Amino acid sequence: MTMSLDRFAELAEIYGGDVARWPEAVRETARALLVAEPARLEVVLADAARLDRLLDLAPAQSADSALLGRLIAAAPQPASAARRWLAGAGAAVGLGVAALAGVAVGVMIGQPGPTDPQSAQSVIATDFTADLSEALEEPAAL
Amino acid sequence: MAAEGSDPDEALLTGVGRGDPAAVRQLLDRRLPRVLALARRMLNDAGEAEDVAQETFLRAWKQARSWRPGGAKFDTWLHRVALNLCYDRLRKRRDVAMAEPPEQVDTGPAPDAGLLGADLSRRVEAALAALPARQREAIVLCHHQGLGNIEAAALMSVSVEALESLLGRGRRALKASLADLAGQGR
Repeated sequence: MTMSLDRFAELAEIYGGDVARWPEAVRETARALLVAEPARLEVVLADAARLDRLLDLAPAQSADSALLGRLIAAAPQPASAARRWLAGAGAAVGLGVAALAGVAVGVMIGQPGPTDPQSAQSVIATDFTADLSEALEEPAAL
Repeated sequence: MAAEGSDPDEALLTGVGRGDPAAVRQLLDRRLPRVLALARRMLNDAGEAEDVAQETFLRAWKQARSWRPGGAKFDTWLHRVALNLCYDRLRKRRDVAMAEPPEQVDTGPAPDAGLLGADLSRRVEAALAALPARQREAIVLCHHQGLGNIEAAALMSVSVEALESLLGRGRRALKASLADLAGQGR
């Protein structure tokens, strides 16, 4: 890879006066060019480095103890012995329920059911009609 | 400067997810100052920076138990969340500014131009704050946060070429506005 003096100056303007902070892909070429043209390019780097040092003066901010305290208090808490027991018990209950459900399904499958789907529908329709007629016969008290 | 390699925060995050207080403390020691610095330089306001840092880590705690290794690095995720929160605040400021024109603040050199210490720091901070937000973001990510160009461009959802354009324009503007301090950047 080759690099022109103009591109070197452009990279210094973009990434600053420390070649070590330039993109890795151009560092080696830039260093080789710097060795070949030290007089011209060291001036370019020094100029960019002056702005870098000014930028370093932009204040950062340290965390105060109140902020740290709030964040530590809000962080996930370790599971207590009681919570671990409850989680284990919950899992056991869940397994038990699942096992019972499986047994119940098995029993239902084993039961003889209505062989004629229409007869089952007629039972439901009859019950519904009976409920409706009862409701019509006994109007709600005002 | 590329965003490659395993996540150095992964083990600590696992600890945070388990509720290990030592992991919480270590992660905060390692990452909170970076988030605070990012927010402070983006917003130029200590109180708002603290609010952004707090909200960023509260969201991180919610993610800790379900964090999936192999995705975005945690530091990158933190930057993304913090930047989004900063932009929310910058948008609100812009809305307020449009409703109420701000007082004109002179950020130029003082008549007695010999600035030292805190004054110098304030001048630089004001110059940075006066940049368009995207130029400021590019400079803060690359110069102050030390992110590589590929990682910074990805965070900003722009190409590396666009990032370089933002950096170049931002640095040229800063150089012009701080020209009178050039002798103090030795």
